[in-house]
Amino acid sequence: MSARLTSASEGELRDALSTTAPRATVRSNRRGLRIATVVAYLITFVVLLPLLWILLLSFRSSNDILVHPFSASNLTTANYRTVIHTLDLLLMYKNTFILATVSVVLGLIISFMAAFALTRMVFRKRRRRLQRILRYYFLAGLAVPVYILLFPVYRLDLTFHLFGTYWALILPYIATTIPFNILLLTGFLADFPDEIEQAAIVDGVGLFTLCTKIVFPLMRPVAATLLVLNIIYVWNEFPFAVTLINKPSLTTVSLGASQFQGQWSTDYGAEMAAAVLVLLPQLAVFGLFQRQVIEGMTLGAVKG
Amino acid sequence: MTWLSRRWQVVLMLAPALLVYSVYLIYPVIYSVFYSFSDYNGVAKPKYVGGANYRTMWHDTVFWSSLRNTMVILGIAVLVIVPLAFMIAVLLSSDIKGAGVLRALIFAPAIVAPILIGLIWVFILDPHVGLINGFLASLGFTGPQWIGGTSLTPLSVAMVYIWQTVGFVLTIFYAGLRMLPRDVMEASELDGATKWQQLRYVTVPMMQETFGICTVLVITGVFKIFELVYVLTGGGPIHLSDVLVSYMYYVTFQLQNYGYGMSLAVVICGLGAVVSLGYLVLRQRGQRT
Repeated sequence: MSARLTSASEGELRDALSTTAPRATVRSNRRGLRIATVVAYLITFVVLLPLLWILLLSFRSSNDILVHPFSASNLTTANYRTVIHTLDLLLMYKNTFILATVSVVLGLIISFMAAFALTRMVFRKRRRRLQRILRYYFLAGLAVPVYILLFPVYRLDLTFHLFGTYWALILPYIATTIPFNILLLTGFLADFPDEIEQAAIVDGVGLFTLCTKIVFPLMRPVAATLLVLNIIYVWNEFPFAVTLINKPSLTTVSLGASQFQGQWSTDYGAEMAAAVLVLLPQLAVFGLFQRQVIEGMTLGAVKG
Repeated sequence: MTWLSRRWQVVLMLAPALLVYSVYLIYPVIYSVFYSFSDYNGVAKPKYVGGANYRTMWHDTVFWSSLRNTMVILGIAVLVIVPLAFMIAVLLSSDIKGAGVLRALIFAPAIVAPILIGLIWVFILDPHVGLINGFLASLGFTGPQWIGGTSLTPLSVAMVYIWQTVGFVLTIFYAGLRMLPRDVMEASELDGATKWQQLRYVTVPMMQETFGICTVLVITGVFKIFELVYVLTGGGPIHLSDVLVSYMYYVTFQLQNYGYGMSLAVVICGLGAVVSLGYLVLRQRGQRT
């Protein structure tokens, strides 16, 4: 017997991850529980310590950091003023936002179209095998690590004259997210009864309406999971960004952050203030969508 | 469905994904394998050199040291993350107040960009301004050179990777724990098993599959480590702290030795696949006996 994590349906996994109404697997006595509580809070504190440390550093002057590493007096907001004056945070956010939105939305749409064709559409007789082979062709991409693509994609972008445009990154981002999108979408569609669709077709609905008005709305939970996963991926992506962006005006959040060290090589306080300014919005969004993010990433890992 | 499956409709639905995927993923893989057998610097025409790049690799001491560093990180990561994440998951599935919040807080590093994680940890690990050595100094000790020295960097990278990954792995264990059949757990309690016995003889054996998933995740994650090394040391001094991917990146884009870079990429891909598969095979054999 095993916990059958991979064969569990999405609903089951979602329930297992939900934070409400915890099922106690360790039913502890009072003293045991007290020790467990202390240990758990201690671990959490240790995990958060690096974040608290840079928060503290970001409010201190660099001289002060070097002379008294542990002091918490003489706090100042000067670092933040320096950073806001010299760093175009808005530009970084704008670029990353455009890249994430366009590549994730386009990627989801075309993955959905392909998944629909692979599970729902009827291939002429004797072409059934082609349908299965095509699905495996898409899934093969799951085994490909991103870094083997870096140089060839760089060449492709050169050939297509895409350098200096968002498309230089959007196309590889879409390509790398397709395999997993197709895995989850075809898995969902294969398990889902197609009676509603049959009825709609009998009513004379066309292909476009069928997809947009009937099938896609049914797939909202899977689409939401993929949306979360892909946005986090594109938002944090670095290897493609550092290889394919050659114009400062296209800098993304990750790429910008990689340059903080050079930008403020000895101004530790400013460097940390910049890091905090990039980190805070991200953590705030995570705080808001915490349940969806954890669910999405866990489902993604288990199903992959 | 047959009515809506005319050939042009099927082609229309498949074409966009098929096109982007084939051009930007499948073609590049073939291209990489192809160029790994050539001498190519981006300017002159690529020259077919057979297995010469792979022979170079065999004698390349930096390749071997970055392989060793990757393996050290892999070993530490698997041995620490899997048991640690499991224990925290067990801890957080008990009746602790605010367990859900704690779980989210421990998970948080998993959504932070790796590049930013590297940046943060410079200020924890740096021998002069870092938190750890600052703390040791205040106790009167001289801390070691966590990063930038010749020996400790892989250990430090492993530490950062653990910090980044443990919360993520623990949520998978948490889901697994909550899917254990309740009657079995209650039966073992009625039979008078202590907490420890229940954990050792009931919970762990029933969660074999979850342990497998988590181990493979940690392994594939290690083979992707790039940003951490890029920010923490840049591979220095003299590439002694490079891991496989960061060395491949250096050869390809700094040295512009594209042929050799591609052969490194091919080897890293193969290694990652072999290690993960090997682990799965071993585990299956272990289950049968």
